[in-house]
Amino acid sequence: MRIILCAVLLIMAQLSWASDGYIDITAPIVRKTQLYLAPATALSGPALPEVGRELTELLSFDLGLPSIFSVSGPAAGPAGADLVLKSSYALNGNALVVECRLIDQALNRELTAKRYTGTPKELRRMGHAFADEVLRALTGLKGPFTGKIAYVTRISGNKEIFVMDSDGRNPQRVTNNGSINLNPDFAPSGKEIIYTSYKKGNPDLYRRELFTGLEARISSRQGLNAMGAFSPDGNRIAEVMSKDGDSEIYLISREGKELSRLTRDPGIDVSPAWSPDGSKLVFVSDRLGKPQLFVMDADGSHVRRLTTSGAYNVTPRWSPKGERIAYARQEEGGFQIHTIGVDGSQDSQLTSQGNNQHPRWSPDGRFIIFSSTRGGTEAIYLMRADGSAQTLISRGKTRDSHPTWSAAW
Amino acid sequence: MRKKIIGCIVVLSLGALVSSGCAKKDLVKSEEPVSTAQTVPTTPPEAAPPQPMQPMEESKSEPMAPAKSEPMVETRAGEANVKPENKGTQGAQLQGELQKIYFNFDSASLSEESRSLLAKNAQLLAGQPSAKVRIEGNCDERGSDEYNMALGERRAKAAKDYLVNLGVQPDRLSTISYGVEKPAVEGHDEAAWAKNRRDEFVIVK
Repeated sequence: MRIILCAVLLIMAQLSWASDGYIDITAPIVRKTQLYLAPATALSGPALPEVGRELTELLSFDLGLPSIFSVSGPAAGPAGADLVLKSSYALNGNALVVECRLIDQALNRELTAKRYTGTPKELRRMGHAFADEVLRALTGLKGPFTGKIAYVTRISGNKEIFVMDSDGRNPQRVTNNGSINLNPDFAPSGKEIIYTSYKKGNPDLYRRELFTGLEARISSRQGLNAMGAFSPDGNRIAEVMSKDGDSEIYLISREGKELSRLTRDPGIDVSPAWSPDGSKLVFVSDRLGKPQLFVMDADGSHVRRLTTSGAYNVTPRWSPKGERIAYARQEEGGFQIHTIGVDGSQDSQLTSQGNNQHPRWSPDGRFIIFSSTRGGTEAIYLMRADGSAQTLISRGKTRDSHPTWSAAW
Repeated sequence: MRKKIIGCIVVLSLGALVSSGCAKKDLVKSEEPVSTAQTVPTTPPEAAPPQPMQPMEESKSEPMAPAKSEPMVETRAGEANVKPENKGTQGAQLQGELQKIYFNFDSASLSEESRSLLAKNAQLLAGQPSAKVRIEGNCDERGSDEYNMALGERRAKAAKDYLVNLGVQPDRLSTISYGVEKPAVEGHDEAAWAKNRRDEFVIVK
């Protein structure tokens, strides 16, 4: 038992020291690490069962999502667990302190520990931060749970942009203009979004700072100014414009200055998405008849077709690690999410239930979020990059789509 | 093997010591305080008050709007859906007479019926030389909403090109695509989809 755990730790240690520090979650895992969540206790002052329960439930939800752990809650007891997560809290007036420790039970050693201070409203933020830290401590790659999810909600015929926590809690409205607002995309900082809005008539591209509310209309050429995608360094934006006759892909600056035109084809060219190193873009074109995925260099050269099967392949997104591309394929009965290797090999269908669209990777590449109609109303779901653990995230009764997951706030 | 494992433990322990300090009390590393600025979007993150951004380089772009007191809330002031502007009864009558045209799935080709409807529309427009028309391209809900944004544009442009060929002045015609965003009818069957794959002709002047 001890030997096995040591071996597991040895692998983890090697991974965490490797330059990219990545566990390939699609690799077969022989035995999941048993993680026991101890009941949260009061550091000082009175016991606050509600606070403790909320914290433990959140950690259980977050840490149950990656395929690394088998998580057991307070009812199970610590016996037999490899890792124990202990949490405690103290509330002094309007100051909340939360302390979390991750302990290797076999070695009786603390792997990481953090203390968070803030207001009671920030309890969930603290829990997500420690879930991120647990994944960092064990795999070398921080978790994505402190990131936010921006998405589009349909409200009485209009579409507005909202932002929510990575577990679907705390939805907050970003736009409130009673028009059609589409395609939110986060800047790499996570603190700005670009989106397309019809609020002044034409579909124009806007850039908005979420914390300050500052906003600029950065692209308002005649026709489409849509599907904006921030480059990985945040300095450029790929977008679709139709000012030159038909829909083409262009690069513009953050301020909206046109930098270059990437496509020159009478067919439809839409949905650009960057490779993580910023050297290439994947996009959708019907230049050969039906919409298919193509890859080009970031200067528009070396265009090659990526998908060769399926009659209708759309909305690609490059994985943060760079090796796969998620997209949606339309078949009899609707859209399904697939991933495909960047060389066009190993196409894999991840969803099968309902209509599933708009895949986006979590910033750490562990997960894919998407919209699905499987529950009746279109809503935001999350799954592992291999398609397992498909989980409903958005909790409202509204019709939600186009999720996109930011870096940590 | 045993040595390796011990080595691994030693290295791990060292790592743990380095990252968490020695004294028991210090094991909890006080993380950067989760300040309101970083976590609660209702408070600006920067200590300094937000400054208006520099004016954008491109003439078409606009400077950032001034900061609002409630950062995550956008005011509705000055914003409304753009409604067709029917100028006078003549315009209203023309609006009523202009025919919509319909398309096949994932197609912007003009059918024979569409061509004859466009010819009628061109005649109507010839009778009112001052009228300007916005051609609105729309798609049904089935395709990709992003792809359909471009398809709607293509449908609107197909009608515009045809009308121009019939002699309508190009500067009287503008185009816009609503993709899948403005269905004429709700519904999830071919009857509804067929009604939604359309161009509408809206008098704007």
